Amino acid sequence: MQDSEQVGTTVSRREFVAGVAALSAVWLVAGTACAREGGLPSDTAKLVHLTPDQATQVDAITARILPSDDGTPGAKEAGVTSFIDQMLNGFAKEQAPLFTEGLASLSAAVTKAHGASATFASLTTAQQDAMLTSIEKTPFFGAIRFATLAGFLSLPKYGGNKDYVGWKFIGQELAMEHKAPFGWYDRPENQQALLGRVL
Amino acid sequence: MQMPTAQPDPTQPSYPTDTPVDFVIIGSGIAGGSVARELTRNGFSVVLLEQGRRVGPADMEHDELGAFMWPRWTNDPALSPQTYKKGPEAKVESRNFAQYARAVGGTTLHFTGNFWRFRPIDFHEASKRGVPAGSTLADWPITYEELEPYYTAVEYAVGVSGEANDDPREPMRSKPYPLPPLNAHGPGVLLEVGAKKLGWSSKAAPMAILSREYKGRQPCHNCGFCLAFPCEWGAKSGANWTMVPEALASGKCELRPNSYVRKIETDAAGRATGVVYFDKDKREIVQKAKAVVLCANGAETPRLLLNSKSNRFPDGLANSSGMVGKNLMPNGNVSSTAEFEHEVAAHKGPVVTRITQEPYELDPKLNLIGGGGFDFRMSVPALMWTLGMPDDGPMWGAGFKQRMRPWFNNSIEALGHTTSLPSATNGVTIDPELKDAWGVPAIRVTYKEHEHDMRLFKHFQGLGRELLTAAGAKKVHTGELQDAPGSAVHLLGTARMGNDPKTSVVDKYHRAHDVKNLFIVDGSSFVTSGRGQPTMTINALAFRAADHIADFARKGEI
Repeated sequence: MQDSEQVGTTVSRREFVAGVAALSAVWLVAGTACAREGGLPSDTAKLVHLTPDQATQVDAITARILPSDDGTPGAKEAGVTSFIDQMLNGFAKEQAPLFTEGLASLSAAVTKAHGASATFASLTTAQQDAMLTSIEKTPFFGAIRFATLAGFLSLPKYGGNKDYVGWKFIGQELAMEHKAPFGWYDRPENQQALLGRVL
Repeated sequence: MQMPTAQPDPTQPSYPTDTPVDFVIIGSGIAGGSVARELTRNGFSVVLLEQGRRVGPADMEHDELGAFMWPRWTNDPALSPQTYKKGPEAKVESRNFAQYARAVGGTTLHFTGNFWRFRPIDFHEASKRGVPAGSTLADWPITYEELEPYYTAVEYAVGVSGEANDDPREPMRSKPYPLPPLNAHGPGVLLEVGAKKLGWSSKAAPMAILSREYKGRQPCHNCGFCLAFPCEWGAKSGANWTMVPEALASGKCELRPNSYVRKIETDAAGRATGVVYFDKDKREIVQKAKAVVLCANGAETPRLLLNSKSNRFPDGLANSSGMVGKNLMPNGNVSSTAEFEHEVAAHKGPVVTRITQEPYELDPKLNLIGGGGFDFRMSVPALMWTLGMPDDGPMWGAGFKQRMRPWFNNSIEALGHTTSLPSATNGVTIDPELKDAWGVPAIRVTYKEHEHDMRLFKHFQGLGRELLTAAGAKKVHTGELQDAPGSAVHLLGTARMGNDPKTSVVDKYHRAHDVKNLFIVDGSSFVTSGRGQPTMTINALAFRAADHIADFARKGEI
């Protein structure tokens, strides 16, 4: 970010990245040498890093971070678990221990609160949200939240944002060009009303 | 119109390494590319060395992770690590503070394209306002009037879009802009609304992005992936689309990408004889030259000078003043964000279309030297922008998801661009131990904001809030001001220009005071940082320098 303006550099950028600063640094370091091939299927039999149990847990956690209850696509529809599975085997390898430990410690908290046979995925959504609220300040939650958003909004070649559902949800179009007016404010009639002229 | 699939290259000459070429130029960014264009057009033979690769259309995808998270074409901490100290007394950290594109075209490959001229005050602020304690603020040895013809030449060479106006504070210009302004996008309209309400001046942003077809290049298609992305359309006028291809078109320029210079060689008489560089296979090559033009950017330029020390130049090449590496100025960037009632769609179109330079010079009662301007924009794409959502609402779950779409479509950032004061304790040195992947001693940056600049940032934070509120924002979000940025892309001041060889590195023609056939032309030449947008001035300085260098060469004065 890269300018200002300054790409990667500014007060502004610092603000943007403040919440995930440590994480970004990890990503920067982790990203360079690692494989980045995408396209792995979301089929759990084809997992490259997560165990099936971990994948189920990740699926349930990320589905609470970006849920689909409202009928619009969320983490599940975007294939965020597949994205996270691939990233932990690829560009974010260095985060693998954070995820392994974070998932184990969440499992332990779940059995402590809900009994030995309980898993995060087996809880009601209200119980899941309560568990996540109790860990929302942890580095693990920060990392999985970031990964969920990244899996929702990065190019499908990284394993998530399946069929661009994340982009479609947020309003990012897959287009090489756009025609003005782009939004409400640059419509000529609104410019006229706001400024008394059209720029 | 069809998207260009590749940059057509004329056949390049292939100069032998052991016969001196007229000029070897180190760095193919806006400075090196411009000097190469100008010198080859004057008939001189040029070898243009670029440490990075040539980024082609295949790399130009709308990949936010690729552009922001990985050093895809920027300096890679894994290969080119740096250390950093927040002030002379601070402990050493591992941090790549100085960031730049390591590619043909340099950082203009993926820049925003703001092409502000400096104003006269930027050249003589020290004598007009005085020098604050702890700063090395000085006047330039040239004036705005001397540079003005070159600003104009640059505007016509690259095709700057803009609109001259009758604001008496605007500096004199000898010709109108060659292209009409870019159409105002949503953030631009909102900036105008805010400025109008406050009674501030505002105008079309001067941008190195084509608003119309120009010299066979296409106008901006408003794809929205602009800052941090190379332009597939060739509409954003980085050196990769302008200066370098035009230098190659002369038939006199040989571009050698993946050629990383580690030393400038000198002879017993103290003249530069050529450069030693690594090719893509890390083989050492010596290119002989009659003269060397160093355009490697404000971090790599001082590093190369300091790494080129010899018995004759024990403190580094061209460093008898001790000023090489000192006075690093990154410019300040002060950001506030706000959401608006209607869709802005700031993710479409160029990053910037309208600006205000109302606070370019401030009321003397504020006791603030320098100043700046504002634009409204969305600096980063969807993922980064979403990560920047203020935490005054749900940050995950259904409530968060509901906030995502309005935040992405209705919010913008007011970005203030400001002066940085120079200081002898801020700068680039060589790390005593760390080496890069080629075994070359690494960059260490020492940087902490001058107390004065912190006050300036605070003032700008208030102005940004005022401007957003006047534009109709209900709630403005500002971050905490930091006493040093995490990294910097404006790398200015580290081989400053001046008349006195005791206090400057190059003379007013960019000739090193200590080495007659070494010229240094890039952001390092800056004496002051201006108001936050240096690229146009780097470009104009490069045109001016090349004009004089060609003249010296013709007269046998090199």
